[in-house]
Order: sequence, then structure tokens, then C-alpha cells
Amino acid sequence: MDLQTSNPNSLKSRFATRFLRALNQINARKPISSSSSPGEIFQRYRRIKVAADMSMAYSVRSRRTWSRATLWRLRTRSRRRRLASLGRRSSVKTRTTTAASHLAAVVVEKTSHGKENKEDDGGGVGVEAEELRELVPGGESMDLCNLLDETAHYIKCLTTQVQVMRTIANLYSLE
Amino acid sequence: MELSAGTGGNGSRKTASERDEVAVLESLQFTDEIRCLMSAPGADNASSFTALLELPATQAVQLIHSPDSAKLIAAPTPAPNVDDFKGSFQFPFNSGLTERAARFSVFAGDGNINSNNKSNSPEPTSYNSSASLQKPVKSEPAETESSQPLVSDPTVENLSIKRKGREKVKGSAKKSKTAAKESSDDAEQLPYVHVRARRGQATDSHSLAERARREKINARMKLLQELVPGCSKISGTALVLDEIINHVQSLQRQVEFLSMRLAAVNPRIDFNLDSIFTAESGSLLDGNFSGMVMPVICPEVQLNGNRQQFPQQLHSDAFQQPVWGREEVCNNYITPENSLLSFVAASLHSNQLKMEL
Repeated sequence: MDLQTSNPNSLKSRFATRFLRALNQINARKPISSSSSPGEIFQRYRRIKVAADMSMAYSVRSRRTWSRATLWRLRTRSRRRRLASLGRRSSVKTRTTTAASHLAAVVVEKTSHGKENKEDDGGGVGVEAEELRELVPGGESMDLCNLLDETAHYIKCLTTQVQVMRTIANLYSLE
Repeated sequence: MELSAGTGGNGSRKTASERDEVAVLESLQFTDEIRCLMSAPGADNASSFTALLELPATQAVQLIHSPDSAKLIAAPTPAPNVDDFKGSFQFPFNSGLTERAARFSVFAGDGNINSNNKSNSPEPTSYNSSASLQKPVKSEPAETESSQPLVSDPTVENLSIKRKGREKVKGSAKKSKTAAKESSDDAEQLPYVHVRARRGQATDSHSLAERARREKINARMKLLQELVPGCSKISGTALVLDEIINHVQSLQRQVEFLSMRLAAVNPRIDFNLDSIFTAESGSLLDGNFSGMVMPVICPEVQLNGNRQQFPQQLHSDAFQQPVWGREEVCNNYITPENSLLSFVAASLHSNQLKMEL
């Protein structure tokens, strides 16, 4: 399965290209050394995760709701962080921060304790649909039918992402 | 002209009041006839409404009126001057009044029925114009009448269901709804789908829409079940959704773990590439390297804050350098990255083999 001979525009190759590029940028900015603190590593981890999500969403462009939602979320978060780092305290910033912080809170909840907090099967499909809506980015404002569509595409993209990242990690740990 | 038309209209209205009862009865019969004729024919398309309209209109008119007026109506006439009978007929678009107007032309008994519609005499002009206006005007209320009984009439089952489905789906912006009995995948490509009511099921529009929606959801759930491993054995929507949620969560967690791994276990990439490229078959990469001499300059120009590293790296691996530079402008860099990608693909393939085993 050579990427050059098979479809160069496939999701996998698009994502792999973008992610490698981003990874190189991150590594070039702050190369890892044996003396890097855990804090640095955590920062890199965050950056790499953002790069992975962003490159995946970019590979899908705006064709899907979840990719649009991810891109918007990442952009607002980066904007908010940039404004915060510059120390500006304008009212616009607080408005954006409240919206972005709400989103960030949702993301944090999802990652930290959303996993073990799953309820039992109660009340039909409603509970699961709500959970699915929280998981899939941009799923809050969709009816069940479109939500299932988006979930299918999201699962496919996530699988591709995991595959490529695992391969790259294996490559880098070969040394 | 208006005064004369008003007087002519007044005179005609006096006669209208006398013939009101007769005209009302006949108009009622006429509209009923139209309704019967509308609902009787079976699978007619929407385009044949006008054909349906023409037919009963002319038929009914021929039944009631004299043949002379039928000739007049058969010949399509341009819209007459409205001002002539503006005073006489205040509601020209009321179907009952238009029927009455049709009868006036007959009951007036003028020989002017066959004359030109645009004659200048006010009274015959009003009658003639009423008769000539009758046909295009009648077609509009008849159309509105016909659409309503079709929607509300549940007697003709298949036709009404098809029409309801069509109208309902058209109203809902042509959302595709699944066909009832067979698998729904093919039907979803159509702009609208005929939903056939099964035996013993309700046929009103709400349950039809509900059923179509449920079937769409079920089709998508089946697709998801195929995507998620280990989900095809599970039955029941809620459990399947649980599995899907678990799968999505596990995938997201895997992404996070892998990014953590990449952050921690990512030393100098060029060294890795060295070992990788030597391990990989050289034939695959040699062809790419030949075109690599030029773009060595590009990353130096574009990368910021890494000048110190570049001379060291250039010494060791001048060919790998373009891979790690900012490549938006350089086109040649694509080939080494393609080589890396090909290696990634090869290892992906091997990973897949491992996972399958």
C-alpha cells in the first residue's frame, strides 16, 4: 500500500502530510533534549494533540460539521490564549473568553471524567444520544439522523488518525 | 365609461338578484361536479390538473349553457378590459359568482355572445367579458379547490399517500425519506420517495413521516454497527449506541496517548531518518534525492530561530534537511516527504498485518 501509487488525495495521506509538517514545526521550534522537564513535555503533548486535531480537521475541510466545529473551537481557543498572553483585558476578550472557556470546560470535562461517568441505559435513546452529542464535536445542534452520519465519518477519521500517529510513533521510537 | 358600466352593472345586478336562487343552486351543483371529476381519475400527475380543469369546465358549461357559449369558452380569449365591469362585478374571483356570471351571459340571451369580446357596448361587453373572463378565472379557483380535497381525502389511498408524500416532502425541502419495504439505501438518492403504507399501519402524514425517519435512523445505525468492531452481534438501539460511544471515547483516548508518546519519545528526527533511510531500500529514495540539491537553500531562508542547528544538520544530512523545513513555497520538498510517506505507508501496511494477526 504505497501512498505514492495509491490515492494521494486519500484522507490518510492528506492527514499524514499535514501532521508530519506540523510535527516538524513543533520539533523545530523546541527540540527535545534529555533534560526537558515534564512541564515542557506536557506542553509539547498539548501542542502535538492540537496539531493532530487541526490537521485532521483540515484534511476534511468544511465538508463535515464536526470538522468545522473542531476548527472553530481550536481557532477560538488559540485566539483566547493569545489575547490572554498579551495581557489585554478588553471587554471583547472577556466575551470571547467566556464562550471559549465554556467550550474548553466542555472539552476538559469530556477528557477528564466523561469516560467513567457513563450512565446506565435509561430513558431510551435519549441519554446515549446526549452523550454522543458531547463526544462528537459540533454535535449539539444536530438531529439524531445527522448525528449518526457525523459519528460514522468521525469514527473513520479517528481510526485513520490513530493509525498514522501510531506508525509515526513507532518510527520515531525505532532509533 | 364608468358611469355607463355602473348603470349597466346595476341593471345586471338587478337581474342577478332575481336569478340568485337558481344561480346559487346551479353553482353548487357545478362545484360539486368539478370535485367529483377531480377525485375520480386515478394516478394523474400534477401536470394534468389543467387538463382536468379544462375538461369539466367545458363539459359542465356545455351541459348548462347553450352551445354558443361553449364555442366561446373553447376559444381561448385574452383577458378583457377589467375596467368595463369593475363596477358590475366586485368579486370576480369568487367561484360562485363566476358561475353566476357564466349564466348571465346565457340568460341575457344576447346575440352578442358570439361577437367580439372587445365590443364597445357596455352591457354586452360586460357579459362577454364576464364570459370570457370566466374561463381563466375559473381555472384558478378550480385549481385551489382541487388541491385541497386531494390532500384531505383519505379515500383514494395510494394516490393520496403518494401525493401527500410528495407534497410533504416538497414542503420539507426535498429531504430524502426511505422507502418502506425494501432496503432503503437506493431510495435515499431520490429527491423524494414514495412511502407505501404497510398492511395494518396508520396512513396519516405524521406516522408516515415518523416511519420514514425511523427507517433512516435504522439504516445509519446499521452502517455504524459495521464500522464499530464487535457491534454487529448486539441488538437494540441503546446498547449499540453505548458501544459506539465507548468506541469513540477509546479512539479519542488513543489519540491523546499517542500524542503524549510522540511528545516524549521524539528526539532528533534527522537521526531517526538516517537510520530509517539506511534501513529502507535505497532504490526507493535515490531517485528522490537527486532532485533535492536545490531546495536545501529554502529551509534556511524560511525557518526562524533555527539557524544554529542548520549548519550542523547540513553537514550530516543535507538531503534530509528540506524535509524538515517550511515547505509551503518549495515544491521539490514534496518528493522527500513522499518518500517518508511511502515508508510510513509501508510500515502502516505491516502494522495492519500485525494487527490482523
